[in-house]
Amino acid sequence: MLQLVVNGLLLGGIYALISIGLTLIFGVLEIINFAHGEFLMLSMYAAFWLFQLYGVDPYLSILVILPAFFVIGLAIQRITIQPVLNSPPLNQIFTTIGLSIILQNVALFFFKADYRTVKTSYSDLGLNLVGLIISFPRLIAFILAMGIIAALLIYLKSTYTGMAIRALAQERRASMLMGIDVYKTYRIAFGIGIACVGAAGSILMPIYFVFPTVGSLFVLIAFVVVILGGYNSLIGSLIGGLIIGVIEGFSGFFISPHLKEAVYFVIFIFILLFKPTGLFGRR
Amino acid sequence: MTGTGKEFHPKSNGLYGIGVLAILALAALPLLVRNEFYLDLLVMIFFWATLAGAWNLLGGFAGQISLGHTAYFGIGAYASTLLYLNFSLSPWIGLLAGAALSVLVAVFVGYPCFRLSSHFFALATIAFAEVLRLLAAYWRGLTKGGLGLLTPFKTGIGYFMFDNKQAYAYIALAFMLLMIFVSRAIKRSRFGFYLISLREDQDGAESLGVDTHRCKMVALIISVSFTSAMGTFYSQYFQFIDPEICFSISLSIQLPLLSIIGGLGTVLGPVVGAFLLTPIDVLLRGWLGGIFAGLNLIVYGTILIVAVMYFPIGVGGWFKIKWERWLKDWMGSPAISLKMDNAVTSLPPLRGPEESKTNGQVLFEVRSLEKHFGGLQAVHNLSFQIKRGEIVGLIGPNGAGKTTIFNLISGFYSADGGEMEFHGQRITGLAPPHKLCRKGIGRTFQIVKPFNNMSVLENIMVGVFCLLKDPRKSRIEALRIINFAGLSKHQFSPASSLTIADRKRLELARALATKPDLLLLDEVVAGLTPRETKELMSIIQSISAQGITILMIEHVMKAVMALSGRIIVIHHGEKIAEGTPAEVGENKAVIDAYLGKGFRRGK
Repeated sequence: MLQLVVNGLLLGGIYALISIGLTLIFGVLEIINFAHGEFLMLSMYAAFWLFQLYGVDPYLSILVILPAFFVIGLAIQRITIQPVLNSPPLNQIFTTIGLSIILQNVALFFFKADYRTVKTSYSDLGLNLVGLIISFPRLIAFILAMGIIAALLIYLKSTYTGMAIRALAQERRASMLMGIDVYKTYRIAFGIGIACVGAAGSILMPIYFVFPTVGSLFVLIAFVVVILGGYNSLIGSLIGGLIIGVIEGFSGFFISPHLKEAVYFVIFIFILLFKPTGLFGRR
Repeated sequence: MTGTGKEFHPKSNGLYGIGVLAILALAALPLLVRNEFYLDLLVMIFFWATLAGAWNLLGGFAGQISLGHTAYFGIGAYASTLLYLNFSLSPWIGLLAGAALSVLVAVFVGYPCFRLSSHFFALATIAFAEVLRLLAAYWRGLTKGGLGLLTPFKTGIGYFMFDNKQAYAYIALAFMLLMIFVSRAIKRSRFGFYLISLREDQDGAESLGVDTHRCKMVALIISVSFTSAMGTFYSQYFQFIDPEICFSISLSIQLPLLSIIGGLGTVLGPVVGAFLLTPIDVLLRGWLGGIFAGLNLIVYGTILIVAVMYFPIGVGGWFKIKWERWLKDWMGSPAISLKMDNAVTSLPPLRGPEESKTNGQVLFEVRSLEKHFGGLQAVHNLSFQIKRGEIVGLIGPNGAGKTTIFNLISGFYSADGGEMEFHGQRITGLAPPHKLCRKGIGRTFQIVKPFNNMSVLENIMVGVFCLLKDPRKSRIEALRIINFAGLSKHQFSPASSLTIADRKRLELARALATKPDLLLLDEVVAGLTPRETKELMSIIQSISAQGITILMIEHVMKAVMALSGRIIVIHHGEKIAEGTPAEVGENKAVIDAYLGKGFRRGK
């Protein structure tokens, strides 16, 4: 029982990292990034190929992937998101959906549909702590995810850009009047969001497998987490991620592994209908 | 609906002629095309056009972006197929049964979901469709799960299966034409105006008597019925369905895509989109998909992004504008001539003569009204009366609660205590706002809410529709109101192109169109030049002279003092003074709270 909880929490850390990127993007740019899962997928492939071709351990490749994806995020924002920032919601939704389609099929085209995994020396290592079996990769994943999230929260609290991001999330016009370069800040926020999900991908690679549509699976989980935690609360995404991880563990065990998804969606719909602000959201 | 009334054009008979020719041409196609591949393409074009048209009713006209329409497609497909396989029920009846089931489900789901704002509504619809997909996949006892349902081929019209594609093409064409016909009928009707108005500004629409919730539900029901019917058609055409096909998110995405590319919210947009994209999709898949898996979708996704970024009104929308410009250049101005009169003429008769005689009686009364937001007491122990025929001013510092009072009266907020009576009837707690409009309370908003993508004329027609159902009569009535408000020069212009002064006039005219007994004006002269203010003031006086009672919030003291017979002063949500302009202007409490000592000296 406790084992289930612990396993759930460990996985939940990764969910939290993925979702925090999504929340940041939605909170600041007010766009639901339907392509978020595809960035996860791309970073998983990146980690895979770095391992396959150069033998770089996925956990180390974060050092490369995180900044690389930040830059990718900046570029994508500039090219595809910025032009539609002032367009009606439908156009914004479709921009990211189009992006998602393109990325999925680019991956399909280059990497083919086969499942890929990474096998490191410690992939199957399990630790025995206080009577519980803890998967070593999952533990590392959790620690790294929490570390990145903590770093992000500190960054947002204490640096100028971080505060600019938070200000922009609350009020666009006032931010402009305060001299904040709004478009640059949007770009940075998007970049950070993608960097987070990029990091999540390389953390996830050792414990999962990648194929072109793996993003869709995780992005749905991320949506549920974001809504559960509160669509404009980063802490909410953190807590929400952990909760969903635990719920997944339980429902996989007690109900059926197949119906896990159904459980997410039902939770999702319930929250949207009855408490749209989620656990920690405002407004 | 961007600014022209097609019915005005003298050549509208010509347009009908073109339409008939087009239908005949389409009808001839399935017979002329012999090649199986192209025939199949034709079937798919009609199929997608119908589906996209159905989605467009909800997403384009009403502005409710559903990304889960595949749910109803799947319900239709599975319902009719299961009924046929298990009970030998003719798929035609199955089609109706599937549609009925889809409608039931839609109402059950749509009812709570319509409360959500657009991004969340879209997410909720996606989630819902996914739940159904999982249900279909894992409830093997019912649906055979991933194995899918195979319908054994048995030719015959009763079985809704045919050995030639022509028959399917005609059925699909029939559905498409029906869809077009229904869309067109809706667009020209009061219902269509209401849908578009609620898309443009839901609060504005409610204030004009539009039952937005009911309108959304009706649009949903029609949209879902057609979608479900096409699900049945799919099953009968391909004779095989499974959860991946029927509850596929790419189907959900395809429908808005076709509508956007063709022209969102137009009647023929989805059809144009289907005619353009279906062949492109099939050809891309043939050329590229075979050689390089996924390449066709890369191109597809790129088309999507480019279309959304650079052609937001779609191909159909682009053509529409070119077409209308051409018509204007070559056909001249609309047939009905209008006096381009900017002077304020008399208002069209708004009410029967007997009603003006009751001036002086209490029309509206508020007793001990209370409203708080969390810990903030916005309105406290407020009581006042308004007599028929009066112009009453409501003044006070910013944040005093004046607009809150308006929102309470017009049904946008619910009171936490106290009573309100209108015409002697209790209206406390009456909601949503459209009900209060229908009782006779009209209002304008502090920040104007024009229906931007509708013309001035169409904006006002929405108001007129509160009492008149016929679009033709409503147009004539709207024209008279436009004349009165001095907006004749702009009647066909989209509301988004108006200056602030004209927008305020539009807002006022629109509210007037609902023939209110009590008109609430919220800072209606704010932001206007002195001359514009004077013009609007004389319009207000004319309105009052016609017997309409007015309660106006204002900060422009010149206007309030000149127009009002009586003034109520609000401060921190409470009434601190009431009386004639002179009395209130001398009142110490009012001077301290709001007017300032300079007011007396200045006056």
